[in-house]
Amino acid sequence: MNETLDTTNNKVLTITPSRCTACRTCELACSFSHAGKSGPGIPRIRAYLFCEGAGKNQVLTCFQCDEAACVQVCPVEALRRREDTDAIEVDRQRCIGCGLCSIACPFGHIVHERSSGIAVKCDLCGGEPACAAFCPTRAISYE
Amino acid sequence: MNEKTINLEINGRFLQAREGETVLQVARREGIEIPTLCHHDAIEPVGACRLCLVEITHPDWKGWKGLVTACLYPVEEGLQVVTESGEIGNARRTVLDLLLARCPDSEVIRDLAAAHGVTESSYRLNKVKTTCILCGLCVRVCATKGVSAINTAGRGIEKRISIPFKQPPKDCIGCLSCAHICPTNTIRFEENGDIRKIWGRNFAMLKCEACGCPVMPEAQAEFEARRSGLSAEFFSLCPDCSRAKTVQTMATAFDMTMMESGETA
Repeated sequence: MNETLDTTNNKVLTITPSRCTACRTCELACSFSHAGKSGPGIPRIRAYLFCEGAGKNQVLTCFQCDEAACVQVCPVEALRRREDTDAIEVDRQRCIGCGLCSIACPFGHIVHERSSGIAVKCDLCGGEPACAAFCPTRAISYE
Repeated sequence: MNEKTINLEINGRFLQAREGETVLQVARREGIEIPTLCHHDAIEPVGACRLCLVEITHPDWKGWKGLVTACLYPVEEGLQVVTESGEIGNARRTVLDLLLARCPDSEVIRDLAAAHGVTESSYRLNKVKTTCILCGLCVRVCATKGVSAINTAGRGIEKRISIPFKQPPKDCIGCLSCAHICPTNTIRFEENGDIRKIWGRNFAMLKCEACGCPVMPEAQAEFEARRSGLSAEFFSLCPDCSRAKTVQTMATAFDMTMMESGETA
């Protein structure tokens, strides 16, 4: 777990705030690719936009920390790092919905499904992030 | 990977599994549905609800076959499994018939029984009002978390999920795992912002340092910090405030980068 990002996978999700227009296409793409629904209210959305204004937008998603508090705190090992993408993924069948990971994440990048309580976080779409594919200004890239 | 691969057959499909996996694990992975009530992937199976009964046989067993619980039965080379048949259907209906007699008020049991064609129980209905099917998932999740505040008590018709000596459990941390995992939504709790009530205990809530909203019971924060080895800081903010803090940090860093490079934001 202590390997650096580029030892197993050369691709990194890069966000360039100065290119972001806060159009929120990334959120819709994320929601659609995970939940099959294109609505900003679905908590599957993992790319957040804040501080809207010229050149100051922020797109935030999980940093896939090397030493991740979410992984450390999960009582049932439902959060695991996938070897090929280096992303920490939620095993939906294992998650008991206790909510600890979302509290322990120092960056607030894990939310929970309202109905089931299951943790929802960025999984880099298994290696083809929809947010990067759909970003019209290429503020999000995965290379 | 030097784990042994095991070849087996489920519903006529030839599948591969790892040694030590259960029939249920393999079936679910392959998209074959087997009903369960007491199973959760993260928790050690016990075969309490008997709904996952499947029929097994083997070419070497000279025609012998039997019903086993898929959640407990480990895969073996050459095993032949059938997940739906008349006999399995009958066995599952009997289980549901009995569960329906025990918990006629449980919506989950009623719906599941109806889905299997059991709309009315053929047994005498339980007079004691309960929706608990005694599957023990709550007890097991509590033990998995390392708390073990609740357990079963009594035997036979006296058996129930109980707290030690019927007193508010000292070990409980108020995490609500038991309530969330219960397949029939039997375990009740209350929350009113400052206090969380479960198993007869009142838990004082730890407040988010920034916005003051309740994050988790203080007892749980203490327990989780000890168990995970993370410092108490990790439990001091609610997810929304953590996110707001990250945004602020990123925005400040961005401003500074802009200033250093001589550009204006």
